[in-house]
Amino acid sequence: MSVAVMKTKAELSFAESFDRVQDRLPGSPAVKQVRRSAANKFAELGLPHRRIEEWKYTDLRSAVKDALPVRVGDATQMTIADVIVALGPLAKLETHRVVFVNGRYRKELSSPDQLAGLEFEDLSSVLSSGNENAAGLASLTGRDDDAVLSLNTAYMTDGAVVRIQASSDLMKPLLIAHVRAGAEPGFTAVRNVIDVGAKASAQIIEAFVSLPGAAKEGQANAATQITVGDEAKVVHVKCAADTGDGITHLSNWMIRLGRETDYAGFQLTQGVSLARNQIFVAFDGEDTKLDLSGVFLGRARDHIDTTLVVDHAVPSCESRELFKGVLDDQSRGVFQGKIIVQQIAQKTDGKQMSQGLLLSPDAEFDSKPELEIFADDVACGHGATCTELDKDLMFYCESRGIPSDIARGLLIESFIGEAVEKIDDEPIAEAVMEFARGWLEKT
Amino acid sequence: MLEIKNLHVKITQEDKPILKGIDLTIAEGEVHAIMGPNGSGKSTLAHVLAGRDDYEVTEGDILWNGESILEMAPDERAAAGVFLAFQYPMEIPGVAGLTFLRTALNALRRKRGQEELTTPEFMKRVKEKSAALNIDVEMLKRPVNVGFSGGEKKRSEILQMALLEPTLCVLDETDSGLDIDALRIVSDGVNALRSPDRAMLVITHYQRLLNHIVPDKVHVLAQGKIQRSGGKELALELEQSGYAEFGEKAA
Ligand SMILES: Nc1ncnc2c1ncn2[C@@H]1O[C@H](COP(=O)(O)OP(=O)(O)O)[C@@H](O)[C@H]1O
Ligand SMILES: [Mg+2]
Repeated sequence: MSVAVMKTKAELSFAESFDRVQDRLPGSPAVKQVRRSAANKFAELGLPHRRIEEWKYTDLRSAVKDALPVRVGDATQMTIADVIVALGPLAKLETHRVVFVNGRYRKELSSPDQLAGLEFEDLSSVLSSGNENAAGLASLTGRDDDAVLSLNTAYMTDGAVVRIQASSDLMKPLLIAHVRAGAEPGFTAVRNVIDVGAKASAQIIEAFVSLPGAAKEGQANAATQITVGDEAKVVHVKCAADTGDGITHLSNWMIRLGRETDYAGFQLTQGVSLARNQIFVAFDGEDTKLDLSGVFLGRARDHIDTTLVVDHAVPSCESRELFKGVLDDQSRGVFQGKIIVQQIAQKTDGKQMSQGLLLSPDAEFDSKPELEIFADDVACGHGATCTELDKDLMFYCESRGIPSDIARGLLIESFIGEAVEKIDDEPIAEAVMEFARGWLEKT
Repeated sequence: MLEIKNLHVKITQEDKPILKGIDLTIAEGEVHAIMGPNGSGKSTLAHVLAGRDDYEVTEGDILWNGESILEMAPDERAAAGVFLAFQYPMEIPGVAGLTFLRTALNALRRKRGQEELTTPEFMKRVKEKSAALNIDVEMLKRPVNVGFSGGEKKRSEILQMALLEPTLCVLDETDSGLDIDALRIVSDGVNALRSPDRAMLVITHYQRLLNHIVPDKVHVLAQGKIQRSGGKELALELEQSGYAEFGEKAA
């Protein structure tokens, strides 16, 4: 792409901010170098727009009107009680908790019990440490043409660097909480890097939540890399459950799965005006089970996009995707799911489903499943549906005395329940459902 | 008391009239049966009583305890005591039976000015009523009606009816799809609910059900109108002669 395009206000602002803030971003000289080239890359790429095939439904160039001030440091007053309020249903879970406020680690609000098997460091310290790992962590993405990731690399302030040792069992979930707080709106970039050792068993929750009274607007750019060792079992849940009005949430999950792993990932998105959730999965070993699912809830003019690429590069793996969207008013849901089965990946078993439930005649759900199959001995399928609330079921409920708003809630819950039940942990699934209920009650 | 007066009904989306002037009065404590050939409008009448908006009342009125219910939403009618046991009970994937029952019961109790039931109180009632209908409470932990046999669905309708304690029970072909044992269980369940302050309208295609639930009056609905009314012996007569004399082919 060599066509010179006029840069938008947001693009110019993101590019120019870098010169101003780079000295205050954490990092050794080597890290700063990585940041500088990412910023240059972003300046070159600009925000993705609809003429790029993968972005045709979600044109960030026109949707992101301006860049909010880039957050570097943060001094927001915050107590544990505040964290509990911000976490909502997740606060009820027994967890190892690490808390970031406006993109900075807050040790005094965190409790990553130093139990055997779990090593935690904050990314900011690692980046500044000067150890040879730092530059690697800064540049680890391997997706160099992704403008959203370039922004993340340029501006990331902090995040969780987690290592779960081989054969260990975390016993309770690790909760990585990113809290948005304070009256000043800002752009926050965070990165979590998670390494699950062979035969380990872990549950990891990433939360993107806000404190009541936080600025209505906000922009988050979150990248997570998770590497799962052979025979490990992982439940990985992201809850982007904001309460603002004018929240942008751009996220990337980069997942690498070893041999015979059992990985289940789930994403909840609600209370977000503009979301792009990208998931990239690479299989490094055979006989692995991948389960990706998610629920997205939209109203007003919310635009929520899930785009995933699952690359079966080895034989005998199984992949399942189930994404469900509830869309009210003029909101729009987008699902793009690309499943690649390489020629060598015989005996691949892949099934994908996306379903939209439209609560209003002006809501829209665009689904684009794509199968690219180069092997011959595979079982792959995909489907997509788009429906309205079932009138017969509504009448059945109402005829039993259930008022229409409660009946609606029951049916919506039952619709998303099928995806939420994929979370193989009842308390976590229940917390996710409670977030969704909270959202529904505001309909 | 239920008073249906000169009721004309058409499908909301179309101009096709289905009910063409029904007059029917059922006093408290009475059980009336409506019989008629397929397609005569029996289910339409049942749904109109419950407030389904696919149908439009073009003329006439329905009074329950002296007040018109036509403007009432289905859940308000339920609160006023109306219950319809569906000919084809719905399956609700993802909603556990117990959740459904409890949501309905507590919604009704709130509207009727009663306190909501605590979990133990609720469970006690469910267990009692389920036992009488030979329903395993474990089944109610599963999604509503999903994977139930025809007979199980019908029993689950009667369980709902028993729990929600309506004062006007409308049963739409509750006997269809039941074998003789299930028919007896369901009929016993319905008979247990007969009481001086409850009116019942039992819709059926066959006389068989009326051996078990013995009606005070029988009406024949054909071509959108009540063609004949009589005592319980009318049902036996129809069993012999069929519905041919009412201008529609026998089943
Ligand atoms: N929702 C509907 N849409 C279209 N036609 C309907 C609808 N409901 C009923 N009908 C028609 O009205 C007539 C009466 O149907 P119904 O009340 O179900 O009869 P019954 O229960 O006596 O068998 C039939 O011709 C049927 O096809
Ligand atoms: Mg019928």
